[in-house]
Amino acid sequence: MDRSRRNFCLGAGAATVGAATLAAAPADAGAVSASGDAAHRWAMVVDVRKCVGCQACTVACIMENDVPENSFRTIVSTYEVTEQGKAGSYMLPRLCNHCEDPPCIPVCPTGATYQRRDGIVVVDNSVCVGCAYCVQACPYDARFINHETQTADKCTFCVHRVEAGLLPACVETCVGGARIFGDLKDPDSTVSKLVREQNPKVLKPEMGTQPRVFYIGLDPKMQGKVDGTPTLWRPAPHADKEHA
Amino acid sequence: MMDTHIVEVINVTREVAWLPWAVQYFFLIGLSVGGLLLSLPGYAFARDGWRPLGRLALIVALTCGLAAPVALLSDLHQPGRFWHFYVVFRPTSWMWWGSLFIPFYIAGLLVYGWACLREELQAHGRVDSRLAGLYRLAALGGGRDDRLIRAAGLFVLAGAALVALYTGVEVAVVKARPLWHTPFLPVQFLTTALAGALGLVLILNRVVGTADRGVEVLGNRLLAAVLAAVMLCGGLWLALSLSGLDAGHAAALDSVAGSEAWRVTAVWAVAATVVPFVIAVARPAGTGLLTGLIAVHSAWMFRWTVFIGGQSVPKTGAGFYEYALPAGPDGLMGIVGTAGLWLFLLILMTALLPVSSTPAAGRPANASGHPGGRLTAAE
Repeated sequence: MDRSRRNFCLGAGAATVGAATLAAAPADAGAVSASGDAAHRWAMVVDVRKCVGCQACTVACIMENDVPENSFRTIVSTYEVTEQGKAGSYMLPRLCNHCEDPPCIPVCPTGATYQRRDGIVVVDNSVCVGCAYCVQACPYDARFINHETQTADKCTFCVHRVEAGLLPACVETCVGGARIFGDLKDPDSTVSKLVREQNPKVLKPEMGTQPRVFYIGLDPKMQGKVDGTPTLWRPAPHADKEHA
Repeated sequence: MMDTHIVEVINVTREVAWLPWAVQYFFLIGLSVGGLLLSLPGYAFARDGWRPLGRLALIVALTCGLAAPVALLSDLHQPGRFWHFYVVFRPTSWMWWGSLFIPFYIAGLLVYGWACLREELQAHGRVDSRLAGLYRLAALGGGRDDRLIRAAGLFVLAGAALVALYTGVEVAVVKARPLWHTPFLPVQFLTTALAGALGLVLILNRVVGTADRGVEVLGNRLLAAVLAAVMLCGGLWLALSLSGLDAGHAAALDSVAGSEAWRVTAVWAVAATVVPFVIAVARPAGTGLLTGLIAVHSAWMFRWTVFIGGQSVPKTGAGFYEYALPAGPDGLMGIVGTAGLWLFLLILMTALLPVSSTPAAGRPANASGHPGGRLTAAE
């Protein structure tokens, strides 16, 4: 399992995948191992040239993971870039980078957030006290406080799906095949080949976090904090104040 | 990037995750540590000239120190799980260390406060009143014991140093926020905390104390010195950022320099430091209430700007996140509630042990020698 949805459906296992998808358990109901399998190192390559900004991944993630209203584990940041009089759109899917050296982990005062042996960074929301130190420490604004659980929340690479042999929901749904998921420890996997051959970039490399979400076609202007006019539309501050 | 313009069309707003509760915590714990330090010369080191100021500083240390952990607990989104801190070993997290330092400090503060006030408790116990028995019980049959005060003072000084260290470093290690990630921050927290504590001492001198001129002049002189240190720190930070000698500081300044709101805040912060400094230097007598109010305001504003302002700077997105103070517990009610708790503690403490009136019966034979001896009979 190391493909984008497009390749996946072309594969021989399309029918079984469909069945498995139907049977997929809700985010927190499956038996997901706490520590993962060290034989794998899961990673994602995002080919921004193929992203059309449809936000299907954003919606699929929300539906799959029961992300509360106005919160996002992934989103496609969309920019209008005008260069020498020509305007164009630029799409940048953002999610947790499942860093090799994640700054969110050492700051956690309870050990609620940790890295599995397969590299996926997770939060045990039965242990998390909601201190939000990890939210501050993440250089990518990838974490937030979930106001339904009142704990730290973030992308898990859909660990429950991955353990069931499925692709993350965002990858599964991506119409352009811009998100490619796979195992870096498998030299024949698509992500391994892309990382080897395409020299993809990561966000904020100067932070030394060694992200395991790579980008092909990443504009250096978008690599760090974007210098531009702030967004014209943002979600309202969380409307479900009664949960707070 | 010549001739390039980027407009962000869609992105996510990350709301502040450290709430105004955190501002209140860092403000109160800072004032408590500042108050404690100011009380030490008069009590732990038995410098009689510092006793009246130390008495007010003790009120600051105790009332702020007891209210602070409540604010901190409230800033957790799962406050009922606070015990999770105490069943793990997480030495990489400064917050985890803080969970050990806070009870150490507060426990030390209570013992030290009791040792300092034992003399007054004993005095109240000698008055024929309904509460005399309680005072005697609280005094545990003793009075002033300078050795005990000094021992407790040194113990709590260690706790205060650890609290000052962890509160500063906890924030300064956050590399993801250039505005926080500076070695100046812990020093700035400490100096502004001292200024705030002095400010509160000057206010209390007028409100619950005896409007002691000596306290006012000493307080204002100390305030001027501390504010000079605040300005020095700020100046060094700015110089390092402007010079570009350090990329991190330059990035920090860069992240906010273009914002009109931040420029206004900077001017405000400078004014709130320079104005009380000038007044305190020019007229240390008769101005304590004014300089005190500005100093307390300035210490609070510094923390508000660091925490709420700092979190309004997106880590990846363009521009700034907007912040509107919610009216509920996540916002205004948190601020008002914490202030209310502090006020309650102040009223309780000054009602039980009034600053201006210790019973004459309680005066030890040698009391005339120390400045705490501007005592008047209560009943």
